[in-house]
Amino acid sequence: MNRETAPTDWKGATMQKRIAGRYAAERRFKLFGLGAVLLSGFFLAFLLFVMVGNGLRGFTYTNVEVPIDFKAMPLTVDASRLGDADADQVIANAGLADIVAFAADEALGPDGSKMISENAWKEVRTAIKDDPELLKGKTTFHLPASSEVDIAAKEGAKGAIGAKVDALEKDGKLSTGLHTPFFRNADATDPAVAGIWGALKGSLLTIFIAFLIAFPTGVLAALYLEEYAPKNRWTDLIEVSINNLAAVPSIIFGLLALAVFINWFGICQASPLVGGLTLALMTMPVIVIASRNAIKAVPPSIRDAALGVGASPVQVVFHHVLPLALPGILTGTIIGMARALGETAPLLLVGMRAFIGDVPSGICSPATVLPMQIFLWSDEVDRGFVEKTSAAIIVLLIVLLSMNALAIYLRNKFEKRW
Amino acid sequence: MTFNAAALLLLIGGLALIGWLAGRARSLMLAGRAGSKLHSRPQYHGWYVALWLFAPAAIFLAVWSAVSPALITNSVLSSDAAQSLPAFGFERGAILSDARSVAQGAQAAVRLPAAAPLVRPYADATHFYAWIGIAAMLALALAGGLYAFTRIKPDFRARTRVEKIVMGLLLLASLVAILTTFGIVLSLLFESIRFFRLVSPAELLFGTEWAPTSGAPQPDTFGGIPLFWGTVLIGAIIAMIVAIPIGMMTAVYLTQYAAPRVRRWVKPLLEILAGVPTVVYGYFAALTVAPALREFAVMLGIPNASTESALAAGIVMGVMIIPFVSSMADDSINAVPQAMRDGSLALGATPNETIRQVLIPAALPGVMGGILLAVSRAIGETMIVVMAAGLSANLTANPFASVTTVTAQIVKLLTGDQEFDSAKTLAAFALGLVLFIVTLLLNIVALRIVKKYREAYE
Repeated sequence: MNRETAPTDWKGATMQKRIAGRYAAERRFKLFGLGAVLLSGFFLAFLLFVMVGNGLRGFTYTNVEVPIDFKAMPLTVDASRLGDADADQVIANAGLADIVAFAADEALGPDGSKMISENAWKEVRTAIKDDPELLKGKTTFHLPASSEVDIAAKEGAKGAIGAKVDALEKDGKLSTGLHTPFFRNADATDPAVAGIWGALKGSLLTIFIAFLIAFPTGVLAALYLEEYAPKNRWTDLIEVSINNLAAVPSIIFGLLALAVFINWFGICQASPLVGGLTLALMTMPVIVIASRNAIKAVPPSIRDAALGVGASPVQVVFHHVLPLALPGILTGTIIGMARALGETAPLLLVGMRAFIGDVPSGICSPATVLPMQIFLWSDEVDRGFVEKTSAAIIVLLIVLLSMNALAIYLRNKFEKRW
Repeated sequence: MTFNAAALLLLIGGLALIGWLAGRARSLMLAGRAGSKLHSRPQYHGWYVALWLFAPAAIFLAVWSAVSPALITNSVLSSDAAQSLPAFGFERGAILSDARSVAQGAQAAVRLPAAAPLVRPYADATHFYAWIGIAAMLALALAGGLYAFTRIKPDFRARTRVEKIVMGLLLLASLVAILTTFGIVLSLLFESIRFFRLVSPAELLFGTEWAPTSGAPQPDTFGGIPLFWGTVLIGAIIAMIVAIPIGMMTAVYLTQYAAPRVRRWVKPLLEILAGVPTVVYGYFAALTVAPALREFAVMLGIPNASTESALAAGIVMGVMIIPFVSSMADDSINAVPQAMRDGSLALGATPNETIRQVLIPAALPGVMGGILLAVSRAIGETMIVVMAAGLSANLTANPFASVTTVTAQIVKLLTGDQEFDSAKTLAAFALGLVLFIVTLLLNIVALRIVKKYREAYE
């Protein structure tokens, strides 16, 4: 079977052409790869650009200068009651809203009261509570403009509203400032006073509850499985269920929470408590898996040495293995918590989508969380909420990214190679 | 005075600390007096006392806070003032909860006049049961603490006892995972069975019309096919068309071509895509991508293009999945032995031929497993489809049309105001069951493929 073949002509035109073709394919392929990386990078950049572009304006707000003379229009309230718990009610009953509306009409023309936010008088109320002396004289307040005026001032609208805003601007009565109600208030139907503090506090309470439950449970379960568990059918079952739970869609946890926590146990609905419990079940498997990897990374020689000098198995784990594995465990926990913090779907089902106009006062009071606030605002018709939504997204992303950065920092700082 | 569980927990925590100090001090004193050696280190005696003090009281506290609301309501209902309440139903519940929140100080005055006479009995009963609870809890704590305290002797094996309890605690913690799984399966099954008594499983699985909100004249129809198709169209088709090529090529470029420094920076940057909350993606899809696609569709001359489209949700979901696919592909490509790559290059193949004809075929099972996991994740994703894909159940292959998915319908069915026994609400659990089973199967198959493949080269 010795068949003679002509030797390949490597220098010939056909071969050269073929080689050139192969190199061209190589370059194309490499470019495709680079293109894919750049495309993913572009998506990320575009997403962040759109959110930041929309959202930065949400942190500022247009204020209108309105002088209010309390001598001419006295607000009859007993100064001694301003420190009481029901001071808000007292001032509201005294008719502050009308006084502010009247002052606005006087200062800005016939439709002046429509130029400022319906809730602007609440800002005056806060100022009065801080300094009751205001009631004795004339003060110029910078009150939040109505949503229409705010948008017109920021974007330059045409028509009647645009003309009015231009006139105000010429008089120097408009000013743009940091939107403090945004950081101080809870949700509201009026973008001028809607804020994220209620949702942020709800998020913090919820995450705190989730951490309180998921962290100890997850770490202890990981310790058991990695250090003590015998290899039998039961531990296999535990292992399989943990791995599966880590991949179960989050909305299923919402269904579980609705059926068990709310309908069966009757835990306070829509509260950080029930939200935290739900998220705890969701993050526990993540913490277990991360903790197991961290515990596995501790070399056996350390255990052997501790056992060798007479430590009991429990002492080995709690005095030697756990402290060494802790940085890794914390890294995994922070990443799991960050994921829980951005989660919305399961919380929708336990009732945390209701409109909550108050900052939550405890773990059992109705609350909403930051991602849910974003979801609720994204449905609002009022244009003023578009930038509020993006601003809330910026706050959420900053919190999440700093948690992830902390996790990476911890990993780099404490990473040990044995 | 109400039953504040957190404060009471702090109280017995404080008592346990005192118990710890007392136990430790006593063991030290005994050791010193008898001049003998202790079996366990003093702190273990302390822990023993503290555990006996804390655990029974805490368990009682948990049980009591679950049981006492029912006891309080019962005693209120048996009082004279409750005899005039309406028999059953919503109004009765509203009156009771109104009275309760006034009695507990959560609101200043009753909203419903009928609740006013109930406030006093409610407050009395709350006080009564709160005091009983606190007294019993303290008694348990003291009894436990005293029992443990009297057992402290120099040769008492406190460490062994404490370690046994610790081991029990560890085992208990690992059982939580099983309990959660059982909880999911049981709650889904239980509610689904109630649903299937009203609607046959065949209708849910094979019916082609989904109209649970059609209103009184027509009966509700629960045909799931449009939902399943919408889920597959968005999660398994459109999202994967975006995620698989980009994710794969990203993994190839980063493992094979990129300089290590570039890789170190680019990889975590891309991981950010997976860390962005889904509600942000949903907002992005609804605000930016969907309107742009609609204009594009109108430009192409597609009639009735919707701002809520399968395409918008699918593309954005695909972007979200990219880092997931690329890190799974990355792992499997890295797991291919260097010798195979070197062998191919030594034969004169270009890197691209090596990658396409050696590395990817060798890594294929792992990549497939990763893709299956990505699909399972995509079909379980909720917020993006709720916000961008719409809620109308269309059985269409047109990606510019609005479709709905299983997860979006679960949210829709459970967030309205409706009683918990209607077929609509129960349908959500049946859909949840289907979703759970499908994702479970996908995960099991995927994990098995990945595992089998990993062993092949080791």
